[in-house]
Amino acid sequence: MPSLADEARIALDNITDRTSGFFSPTIRLGVTGLSRAGKTVFISALVHNLLHDGRLPLFSAQAEGRIAGSYLQEQPDAAVPRFQYEDHIRTMLEGREWPASTRAISELRLTIDYESASGWSRFFSRGRLAIDIVDYPGEWLLDLPLIDKDFATFSREAIERARTPSRRDMAGPFLALLDATDPAAPADPERAQALHAAFAAYLTACRGDRTALSTLPPGRFLMPGDLEGSPALTFAPLVLDPGKAYSRSSLAGVLERRYEAYKSVVVKPFFREHFARLDRQILLIDALQAINAGPEAVRDLETALTDILACFRPGRASWLGSLLTRRIDRILVAATKADHLHRESHPRLEAIVQRLVNSAIQRARFSRAEVHVLAMAAVRATREATIEDHGDKLPVIVGVPMAGETIAGETFDGRIETAVFPGDLPADPGLVFAERPVDAEAPVNFVRFRPPRLERTAEGLTLSLPHIRLDRALEFLLGDYLA
Amino acid sequence: MTHPPRRPGAFHIGPSSEEQDFVPRATSEIPAPPRSPRAIADLAAVTLDPEEAADEELSALDAPPAVSRKRRIGFGKIFLGALGALFSLAVGLAIDSLIRDLFARAEWLGWVAAALAVLLVVGALGVLIRETVGLMRLSAVDRERRAARAAYEADLLPDAEVVVDGLVSLLSDRPETTEGRARLSSWRGDVMDGRDLIIVAERELLVPLDIRARALVLGSAKRVSVVTAVSPRALVDVSFVFIETLRLIRQVSELYGARPGAIGLVRLTRDVLAHLAVTGSIAVGDSLVQQLVGHGLAARLSARLGEGVVNGLLTARVGIAAVDLCRPMPFLRAPRPRIGDFMSDLAALQKKSERGNRVPEER
Repeated sequence: MPSLADEARIALDNITDRTSGFFSPTIRLGVTGLSRAGKTVFISALVHNLLHDGRLPLFSAQAEGRIAGSYLQEQPDAAVPRFQYEDHIRTMLEGREWPASTRAISELRLTIDYESASGWSRFFSRGRLAIDIVDYPGEWLLDLPLIDKDFATFSREAIERARTPSRRDMAGPFLALLDATDPAAPADPERAQALHAAFAAYLTACRGDRTALSTLPPGRFLMPGDLEGSPALTFAPLVLDPGKAYSRSSLAGVLERRYEAYKSVVVKPFFREHFARLDRQILLIDALQAINAGPEAVRDLETALTDILACFRPGRASWLGSLLTRRIDRILVAATKADHLHRESHPRLEAIVQRLVNSAIQRARFSRAEVHVLAMAAVRATREATIEDHGDKLPVIVGVPMAGETIAGETFDGRIETAVFPGDLPADPGLVFAERPVDAEAPVNFVRFRPPRLERTAEGLTLSLPHIRLDRALEFLLGDYLA
Repeated sequence: MTHPPRRPGAFHIGPSSEEQDFVPRATSEIPAPPRSPRAIADLAAVTLDPEEAADEELSALDAPPAVSRKRRIGFGKIFLGALGALFSLAVGLAIDSLIRDLFARAEWLGWVAAALAVLLVVGALGVLIRETVGLMRLSAVDRERRAARAAYEADLLPDAEVVVDGLVSLLSDRPETTEGRARLSSWRGDVMDGRDLIIVAERELLVPLDIRARALVLGSAKRVSVVTAVSPRALVDVSFVFIETLRLIRQVSELYGARPGAIGLVRLTRDVLAHLAVTGSIAVGDSLVQQLVGHGLAARLSARLGEGVVNGLLTARVGIAAVDLCRPMPFLRAPRPRIGDFMSDLAALQKKSERGNRVPEER
């Protein structure tokens, strides 16, 4: 439950926003997504396409030539680092690498000067829209469900998860250490440190490509940010006896205090500052990585997303929900990295993602938010082609796979352009959740591609970044503000 | 429709833009039905999809299968056809005997008459060809509209591309669409879905024409409403309305790329009137309120002026029906013109003229 202070601060922020919004309209775009879902790439591509007059036929304000200009502006929060847009674009275009994992929060304000299509709104507004976008490590999102849980619940769930068959191997050292620990014993800093290290190592191991698990709270253990080593980040779940009271000086007592500190010092401020005041939200989901790793990973992704999105439900039932005084009226659920598939598979990818977040979609629609599911790629790394094969037309994608990626026993070196057929997604989305026979070959195998090479025109102009349906995403998220 | 499962695979397309020598690799052999992972070494086997290919070859313009309306042959048509043929024979006979007579009188006169007869045939052939082409263009627009609707509903990109190619060639001689056509062709590879492509094509190619069409309809409606309000005789009214209606239909059809000949225009006019008869009740249901407001307003004006407003509205309805029939795409996202759009303009016109009338009366 939010404290009175939380509410007061948010109310004050909202009033400040509204007053300044009256003079210069501002929209806060929430880019939500777990780590590696493509938040940084999405933001960079969005900004690049708007700044460089990209090819956005379905973004009507741009296509109709009503955008006079877009530029980056001083961001409103002086305490938050600036989103390093130029660096990310350089990494993608010159280095042809994807930006590295985001390690800390950053912010950007993009301003669009536009002509409204209706004379009435031209009369009232001066045709300038500021868009505030925040980028942050996706791991931190995993902390959101923790806010409503106490230490005992967190410990029970974390240890239950660690003992599931798919994780038992990776959690082995941590579980062994846990068995040798007595939570009622007097607190020993060294033991707490060792437990934390083992727990964090297990969480990190679960993230590997082979398993690609997602439900791995607490998020700061994966991406500590600037608080690494502080007591608030040095705890681990313990096997607690529900009926027993632990003294303040016992290991359990100390770790519980640290856990509460983690929630109040680390987690709550982050969400209070950056999530409680959103106007529009885009939820980026990388389903392909999970599908690659198998049904276990897909189900785990579903759990993680369901837990997180449950926190966004409006009302008093959750801490964040009670802070959402501003209603998010449009939510875009984007199945990212759609360029790893031929377009004939996009409807199936959309069906799978729809199924992943079905309950959240229903809830959002119930609270009268518009929800749209879209297969998209903020930066399109491949082209589509057809290949004649055994008298059959096979739709393939052509691009440069990243070094070390494998398909059908072949490993790529990251330099050859290759045509890849990643397999067919099942027509029934339920099949990617279902266990398949042990000896069955993986029906699909997605390969990651390097960013595209941007050609220059004869005049030396750099073309805009290619994309898949980024224009439709922009039209849905911003179109009515620029109408 | 079920496919056997297709397996993931990689295909080498050779020393492309990347800095690597072409290394052919073996293709893993797996029987055909399940498409399994494998690599294909032969670059020639890879055909880049049209919208992906660098030189972007537009796929050949194929009109979808024609769905021609059934034109029944009745006794009346047999009668008229036979009468026409007999009449032509009679004319031919008359010309033939005329030329013979002229040869009998003076040879040079005969030659002149023969040359004129040849010219007559050439002219008749020209008219025939023009009319046929006009009719064909008219039915091409018709097919295009049906194909556009089908592609929009099916949301299939290949169908939508055929439709858009057809639309571009239909409108290629309309200067209003030059800019839109250029933008559309530069965006070809960027639009991923059939429905989106149709919508973009409508916005880029047809919306500028819709604005022109609206101006044409409004102009005709205004002229009709003023002329019927001031004309001294009913005969003048009727003939003016008739001519104006024909002119409007012809202009609208030319605007949207169908250049019907005389026969085409007659056919189109009949379709417009039939369309009005069919859709009349629907249109009234749609804009009954506006019509009532119009009548109420008109009743307060003098009878003549009110009649003018109503005549103008009826002309606008003819114009909208003509737009519906001539537009090579149904109205999908763009707003369809409605009677209400013209109402305020016409009423304003009449009020102005009424004020002009009233001032001298009050003196």
